[in-house]
Amino acid sequence: MENSTKEEYKIQSFDLETQKLLKTALKDPGSVDLEKVSNVIVDQSLKDQIFSREAGRICYTIIQAEAKQTNGNVFRRNILNRLQQEFKAREETRKRSTQEWVCLVSFICNIFDYLKVNNIPMMALVHPVYDCLFRLAQSDALQNEEEVDCLVLQLHRIGDQLEKMNMQLMDELFNLLRDGFLLQEDLSSMGRLLLLEILEFRAGGWTLSETAQKYYYSEVTD
Amino acid sequence: MSAHQKYRYENDCKPDENRNKGASRWSHCRKRGADGSLRKSHAVEEPVKCSQSSRRPKSFTTPESEGPVSRVKNWGDEVEAEEMRSNVQRDMHRYRRRILEADFPQRDRKISSGSSDSRDSRDSKESSVKGDIETDEATLIRRQKQINYGKNTLAYDGYIKEVPKHMRQPGVHPKTPNKFKKYSRRSWDQQIKLWRVKLHAWDPPAEEGSDVQQIEVIDLGEIMDFELDVECSVDTESKCPTSSGVSLSLAEDSFTGTPKKVMKIEDTEMS
Repeated sequence: MENSTKEEYKIQSFDLETQKLLKTALKDPGSVDLEKVSNVIVDQSLKDQIFSREAGRICYTIIQAEAKQTNGNVFRRNILNRLQQEFKAREETRKRSTQEWVCLVSFICNIFDYLKVNNIPMMALVHPVYDCLFRLAQSDALQNEEEVDCLVLQLHRIGDQLEKMNMQLMDELFNLLRDGFLLQEDLSSMGRLLLLEILEFRAGGWTLSETAQKYYYSEVTD
Repeated sequence: MSAHQKYRYENDCKPDENRNKGASRWSHCRKRGADGSLRKSHAVEEPVKCSQSSRRPKSFTTPESEGPVSRVKNWGDEVEAEEMRSNVQRDMHRYRRRILEADFPQRDRKISSGSSDSRDSRDSKESSVKGDIETDEATLIRRQKQINYGKNTLAYDGYIKEVPKHMRQPGVHPKTPNKFKKYSRRSWDQQIKLWRVKLHAWDPPAEEGSDVQQIEVIDLGEIMDFELDVECSVDTESKCPTSSGVSLSLAEDSFTGTPKKVMKIEDTEMS
């Protein structure tokens, strides 16, 4: 098994048989059960934090391979519909396990990032992604460092794209974040720091100024 | 629009959950934009099921419909529809550029590998002079779907492998109808039918025996010539690909009826 494929797509966490299935799907999608492949990928994304942030890439490659080979889009359709199911059940998922919820959000955002239609992000995903981020911006979620961490990660990765798709919603989201930062008393100090950084990040046009970079990311030498 | 609107679609996403619980959980954000009237709008929204299309603010999607829209769409369908629209728009830009180029021909015109279906000097004269190309998105999408049915066949695959585009002889070789030209609905549908029939000449032979299949196809061509007075000689003998043992399965659409029907006529009339 080539390690490069493993690393590139971060599939080390799958058992060997599944890894084999995925590799075949990448090269010869017509020969595998694509519905099974999509389920395998979604299931793992909900469990494995690393994979949930990178699964978009392997999905993209399989989709391209299928389009080229059979002109079909069975795989994409399966991934999206499965994702939609998970999205609908997200509140239950959040209650059951914060980890799974956070993985779900990462995965949806990663899909949004990678699966584009003629180089434009999928419009169908814009509101669902915003829904997830708004949920993370609620006060109960902001208390929870894991959720804040997820929120700011997604905004770093796809914030600018999301804003282009819908400026108004991004404004509203950031209003919530600003209010949370200023008014909410039960935030952890790390949570507060993360929020401050993302507020500055967006204010700087989705990039950190040099000073901000130094402020947040330098080691303090004493 | 604002928190008001956003709140609406958020609740749409949880149709089965206890709405009261949802209300209190979201009350935090509701109060933000709030003037209290949000509660009422929530009640109004109740009958609306979780529907992606109803949630979208007006500025968000093009008003043209993408055809019949079921209330609850799945993401797979939505993205396919997006892709179809986007492809059609892209094709239209390409086509427009080509027409312009045809008006101002350059000596070294490259043959593009783009998906636009046809391009010749006639296009430019007819369309640019009249200023007329089909631009209605719904029509273009419908036509593209019909073209896709035809292109998704083994016959089409066989045809394009066998006859490169620059070797096509008008009249002899089937040519994909140009979706950007103005045609009536009947005219367009008929062109599609004829095109599909012509493509059948490249059907891979059935398992029973390639000879039998070939004869049937030849007759079919003659029938079409006779009945419809169309100038097309379907020269099939040299064109049928060698048997690959694959039995053809035609796309499940309205067009599969056509060739069979014509063949039946042949049986009664010719025997």
